[in-house]
Amino acid sequence: MAKVELRGVNKQFGSVHVIKDINLTVEDHEFVVFVGPSGCGKSTLLRLIAGLEEITSGEIDIDGARVDHLAPARRGVAMVFQSYALYPHFTVAQNMGYALRVAKEDKAVIDRKVREAAEILQLTEYLDRKPKALSGGQRQRVAIGRAIVRDPKVFLFDEPLSNLDAKLRVQMRIELTRLHRELNATMIYVTHDQVEAMTMADKIVVLRDGRVEQIGAPLDLYNTPDNRFVAGFIGSPAMNFFAGRAESVSDAGVEVALEGGTRFTFPCETPGVKAGDVVEFGVRPEHFSIGGNGDGGSDGALKGEVYAVERLGGETYLYLNSGSYRDIVAHMSGDAPISIGDSVEIGFSLARSHLFGPDGQSIR
Amino acid sequence: MQSTDYESVRRARTRNLKLWLALLLTPAALLLIVFVFIPMGSAVLYSLYEWDGLARKGYVGLANFSDILFDPVRNKVLFHAFWNNVKVFVTLMIIQNGYALVLAMLLARNPRGYRFYQVVFFLPVILSTVIVSFQWKLFLNPVFGLVNKALIAVGLESWAVPWLGLPETALPAMMLVNAWHWFGFPTLVFLAAIHRIPTDFIEAARLDGASEWRIAREIIWPLMAPAVTIIVVLTFIGSFNWFEIPYVMNGLEGSPQGSTDMLGLLFYRTAFGSISAGGSDFGHGSALAVLMFIFIFVFSILATKYLTSREVEMN
Repeated sequence: MAKVELRGVNKQFGSVHVIKDINLTVEDHEFVVFVGPSGCGKSTLLRLIAGLEEITSGEIDIDGARVDHLAPARRGVAMVFQSYALYPHFTVAQNMGYALRVAKEDKAVIDRKVREAAEILQLTEYLDRKPKALSGGQRQRVAIGRAIVRDPKVFLFDEPLSNLDAKLRVQMRIELTRLHRELNATMIYVTHDQVEAMTMADKIVVLRDGRVEQIGAPLDLYNTPDNRFVAGFIGSPAMNFFAGRAESVSDAGVEVALEGGTRFTFPCETPGVKAGDVVEFGVRPEHFSIGGNGDGGSDGALKGEVYAVERLGGETYLYLNSGSYRDIVAHMSGDAPISIGDSVEIGFSLARSHLFGPDGQSIR
Repeated sequence: MQSTDYESVRRARTRNLKLWLALLLTPAALLLIVFVFIPMGSAVLYSLYEWDGLARKGYVGLANFSDILFDPVRNKVLFHAFWNNVKVFVTLMIIQNGYALVLAMLLARNPRGYRFYQVVFFLPVILSTVIVSFQWKLFLNPVFGLVNKALIAVGLESWAVPWLGLPETALPAMMLVNAWHWFGFPTLVFLAAIHRIPTDFIEAARLDGASEWRIAREIIWPLMAPAVTIIVVLTFIGSFNWFEIPYVMNGLEGSPQGSTDMLGLLFYRTAFGSISAGGSDFGHGSALAVLMFIFIFVFSILATKYLTSREVEMN
């Protein structure tokens, strides 16, 4: 297995600049997830590493050797496609062993490696079937098996679970994590689903518009997002944002005034804002409290009217409007005694809240 | 009471739907009956009678069929023409469709000017076959034809032969003209079939280390099977109905020395008369047409069944 390094990587399609100066290191054995909204360039970046697209400038190294000039097959990577890309006229075994047949491996070796991979993925009984005769999850496992058989330096996954139903997705997420542990492999995984990113990654790379917004461990991104975009993208349901004004800036922090008279001093070391600036205050749904019920604190509160309640059994989501702040989401316990039309006060703790300057950067 | 209302509304809706279907299907059904089924039935009927010119004589049963298949003189001409049709089919499969396949594979890689080439390759298809045949007849003229002049200009005088006048070159020349005229059609069909193959398959094969040749042979070709079925069957039907090009370029007699004789020409000569065949003979002509139809129909069905069984669903 190997380390992957990207230095100053750019990709242009004609005049459209889709990947902008990406610098990134994926450590040996690491599970890295590229995440971002549609069109952010995450799949393109994966394809650049795979060699399915050529970089416009920059350098890609795998296992210490420069590979950006090499054909895909010579980079030591294996890729699992969103569509599985299983050859429909081959059996499962033929699909899994194709790369080895192309490499003119001995038939006995191919057979052994295919069987080993099939065993890991519980596919042994399906080896003689055609892909058409398999379920979505089984096809996905064959696609992974095809990658395993090649014994690559790096595994690349391009939204591999997006064609599966919700239940199977959860199951495959766990299987992939187990597989990563078993193979101890370097894996790069692309998804637009931040739940996948949070649950599987050692390290998440958040991309927007072809640029890296933040790189870090899942909980680092959740707890200390660098900017408003990352704060809004990581976490489900998304963070609530409240536009406010920086009334004053002192050593103690930034004094923030929200609409409706709520005022508080947000503690920070390097404010990066001045009095009068428009700021945004961010609170995650799970960090609100209502009447002492919840994870929030009492550093401040907003009054609002509940217009929808989603009860999921173990948890409840409240949807509120508070003055011009619309569609606030608050997470409560499953039995929260709240009904539509109730007026409630939602409290927050500054220690678990976030403040963003006019440029969208986090104020800490 | 209410349920009866529902029932009558449902019945009225079904009746309306059936009326619509009948209305939409009637024109096509009428066309088929008038221009396909009635002529086919007539041909079968004509083939069972003896004819004198345009006058129908007595009922002879299958005697016309028996004459065509077993009379030594007719039989020799028939099998000679049939053999020429076989040559046309095999040659067009290799030259015309093989060339089209290569072009489609190249165009599928989206080369510069892809759209332009696509249009240029398809242009000959939209020309009238009669015009194409006549134009090539002029090009191949031994005295003032463009082909021989070009050959002489590049120092290949020995190659400048009367292409349509020699038994060994006349049929190959016509088959090349056919290939020039039609190659755009299989090219487009193959190209559409290649474009239908998800790019992920090709990219997965590239990541697996397969060469372009191997990808073409092991991934693209098997997945193009539906297009191959269509082209093989259409080429077969076209080859065994081949008429316009040999007729316009070398006439009804399949000259020189019968080297370009085809079943289509033989049918025409028999049914409508010619220098060699004499007066028109609707009986034998119709019998020949019926035999041709049965042969082409049966073979096409068998070929379609066989080729379709090779096809793989993409997903």
